[in-house]
Amino acid sequence: MVAPSGHAEADSRNLVEVRIAASAAQISAVRVVAADIAARQDFDLDAVSDLRMAVDEACATLVPLAVPGSVLSCRFMVGVDSIEVLAKVNVPRPTRVQQNTFGWRVLSTLTDEVQAISQDFDDADGRPSVGILLCLRRDRTIG
Amino acid sequence: MTSQDSGYEHLAPLFKEFASQPDDDPRRQQLRDELVTGHLPVALHIARRFAHRGEPLEDLEQVATVGLINAVDRFEPDRGTDFLSYAVPTITGEVRRHFRDQAWSMRVPRRLKDMHVAIGAAVSVLSQRLGRAPRPSEIAAHLKCGVDDVLEGLEAASAYRSASLDEVLTDDDPAGQTTADALGEADNALDQVEYRESVRPLLASLPERERTILLLRFFGNLTQTQIAQQVGISQMHVSRLLAQTLATLREQMTSD
Repeated sequence: MVAPSGHAEADSRNLVEVRIAASAAQISAVRVVAADIAARQDFDLDAVSDLRMAVDEACATLVPLAVPGSVLSCRFMVGVDSIEVLAKVNVPRPTRVQQNTFGWRVLSTLTDEVQAISQDFDDADGRPSVGILLCLRRDRTIG
Repeated sequence: MTSQDSGYEHLAPLFKEFASQPDDDPRRQQLRDELVTGHLPVALHIARRFAHRGEPLEDLEQVATVGLINAVDRFEPDRGTDFLSYAVPTITGEVRRHFRDQAWSMRVPRRLKDMHVAIGAAVSVLSQRLGRAPRPSEIAAHLKCGVDDVLEGLEAASAYRSASLDEVLTDDDPAGQTTADALGEADNALDQVEYRESVRPLLASLPERERTILLLRFFGNLTQTQIAQQVGISQMHVSRLLAQTLATLREQMTSD
């Protein structure tokens, strides 16, 4: 529906991509990477912790939707002043990420921007996918 | 525990003989074994006193036994004190040290643990000064160390087993009044969540402090640092509690 806008994405030197089995047990790996990236970008500790929880929440939202046995990909586009994360899974049939949930509230509180993305025919492989794109800025005005 | 009726009196004479043997004498080794085995119930008893604190009993028994062996080796019978009044504090000390060093679920070098403590102190000072959570670079400047050291120290924080933190949570809640204030506002926001029917009972079942922190963060829109100040715990603690609580909620929501 909406393509990731990430200006940082164009430069692959700033890209970190983590691919895990779409299973709750593997999410901790992505969480650790998220926290590490944010801390190394010198985000304040609240933001480091927020990004870690947001990525956790995004992955946990996507895992149950994923094609069984498939892969969850999580791309971190690391800019100077922001980190964009796109978590994505392939789904058995076109669907949407629910936005009236407590989990979505958590996501929107923790991030500066969050967007649900649905593609009925993903560019990469022609299969339907859903994703969550979130963005945290280094200097945030709100909590 | 006194020597009069301890049940270990028969071992006392062995200490004199043990102490008088040269180090390489086979008889010394034999006496040492006998003394350690003979006093083993003391070590096991002490280990049991520390059970149910999150460390496996077998580990505690091993550590206590190491403490006992040290006590046997270092005990000087000529000093006039009996063995037990020397051994009990020695063994207890060993078990305590075990908790201090091993309550980390991963082995973390001493240096990092010290760093973790220093970071904790720096975070609270800087949060006050800055009015927000500090950045790693700011912590590094404050501690006059490298940013990499801070990053490592922060990582070490996540190796601390969260189970032990649960014990802290049963303390009285100093937030009191302010919490109630925040909750009034929070309820309105909560109504907007369509899943409230499933979330609300889960929230109600949370321990009070976890619920407060969760509501302040997600419905009161406070930062972790602000919550830390309001509730009277550290930002790192808030961070751990929030992550834990979210995981718990998620688990319960999906299991229903």
